[in-house]
Amino acid sequence: MNTQLEAPPETAVLQLAPEVVKLQIRNLDFFYGQKQSLFDVTVSFAGNAVTALIGPSGCGKSTLLRTLNRMYSLYPGQKATGEVILDGDNMLSPRVDVATLRARVGMVFQKPTPFPMSIYDNVAYGVRLYEKLSKADMNDRVEESLRRAALWDEVKDKLKESGLGLSGGQQQRLCVARGIAVRPEVLLLDEPASALDPISTARLEETIAELKRDYTIVIVTHNMGQAARLSDHTGFMYLGQLVEFGETEQLFTNPVTSRCRDYITGRFG
Amino acid sequence: MTAVAAPRLSRRLGEGAFLAFCWIATLVAIVALAAILWSLLQQGIGGFLKPGGGGLDPNLFTRSTPAPGSEGGLLNAIVGSLMMCVAAMIGAVLIGFLAGTWLSEYARESHYGKVIRFLNDVLLSAPSILVGLFIYEILVAPLKGFSGFAGAVALALIAAPVITRTTEDVLKLQPTALREASVALGAPVWKTIFDVIWKSARGGMLTGALLAFARISGETAPLLFTSLNNQFLSFDMTKPTANLPVVIFNFALSAYDDWRRLAWAGALLIAVTVLSVTVVARILAREKASA
Repeated sequence: MNTQLEAPPETAVLQLAPEVVKLQIRNLDFFYGQKQSLFDVTVSFAGNAVTALIGPSGCGKSTLLRTLNRMYSLYPGQKATGEVILDGDNMLSPRVDVATLRARVGMVFQKPTPFPMSIYDNVAYGVRLYEKLSKADMNDRVEESLRRAALWDEVKDKLKESGLGLSGGQQQRLCVARGIAVRPEVLLLDEPASALDPISTARLEETIAELKRDYTIVIVTHNMGQAARLSDHTGFMYLGQLVEFGETEQLFTNPVTSRCRDYITGRFG
Repeated sequence: MTAVAAPRLSRRLGEGAFLAFCWIATLVAIVALAAILWSLLQQGIGGFLKPGGGGLDPNLFTRSTPAPGSEGGLLNAIVGSLMMCVAAMIGAVLIGFLAGTWLSEYARESHYGKVIRFLNDVLLSAPSILVGLFIYEILVAPLKGFSGFAGAVALALIAAPVITRTTEDVLKLQPTALREASVALGAPVWKTIFDVIWKSARGGMLTGALLAFARISGETAPLLFTSLNNQFLSFDMTKPTANLPVVIFNFALSAYDDWRRLAWAGALLIAVTVLSVTVVARILAREKASA
């Protein structure tokens, strides 16, 4: 018997069972011009579950999120290599139409971004890009989306009013409603609560927990309490690498890697 | 005690002096503006009234510019100015909105964009008389005749860089997240620009267009070489076309009291038009912003 303790591993990434995987990243490298900011990331996201990405600022978690809907392709200097596989197809392949991809993978941003139009049109905007719905069907879709985002009761009497007139928390739930109105399969949330007060944050978290039943959700957050409360799996990123990935409870109570343990216990970051 | 109080006093004095300078500078600007408006109002109002007294003079809006000593108004100049300004604004708004959009949304960092932006800034500050001469060379001389169209083109050439610049500036102020939010829904970039970014920036874009309108509605130099003038009421823009600035220029320098009276009236008319257009634009922009 060797009494000497084994050194903790540098990285520890849990492999999910193939049947639960909805979205998968394989050997992903990412470049801002010459600067590489993601290094060989391989990770799987389970369907109908919430996966949280945590890590210090600049670790690449938002960058990772932005490869999942190819948002980076708006900017000429940014490049991703590797694979993002949604239901078996590589979404980074140039053959995949980016608009179709984005219809399947919705995104909600850090700051609420209501469009300068009515609450109704905010929700209908994305739907109109893909579907020709009758007025009645569109009304149903808007109502359904707002209900699922837990906003319907607050806005049902003022659908024609501007979305800009809502409070910050309401605006963010409007953005969630807008995102799910196009019926995506995956929902990406990039620090969705960082601009909200605690009460609005709690409401948004309830909404996210509700949405998990129908969507695959990936959330980037700085708030470790939020990651622990909301997610089924958590990935810890550092300096562009995925250091540890596993069941949320296991990762927060008994992290395997020393860097993840140091971050969670507040020793750095 | 004094050791502590002394720096506070000097700091308060500095603060007070700076505030006083700001006040004085503001006051100088406002006094100058008020003086101009006051003399314009004082002199111009006479042109709106009947010469012998007794109410408003309808001739101002119903009759064309007179020969010295006879009765007349500014109808031909008002009509000509309106036609040329509207035609110029249609062209300038089209070019300015699209060019500004291209600079902000498509060519923000590109070298080609930087060159175009620089050239636009040069055009923005080009003396308007040069613009008039340029149009004279390329439109008036080859076609052998002054025309309202040439005038409109010259005015458009002055307005377009203003609109391009203001459009680019207000579009750049729109948050990146707003663009990404629309694109994230699967909207193509052009649709994002039309439906989201323009809508969000419309107040500023409208203000830019109205600023350009204000600028060209008083321009005289470029029209001297292009539309020239016309003593009669004419709706034909292929012929020389009367306009307020040139009429003001000619009449103000004349020896006849009734012509000078009309020149003042025309000047007041332009000032009031520009002022009310600006006020209306502000109200519209504010209403839309809070809508």
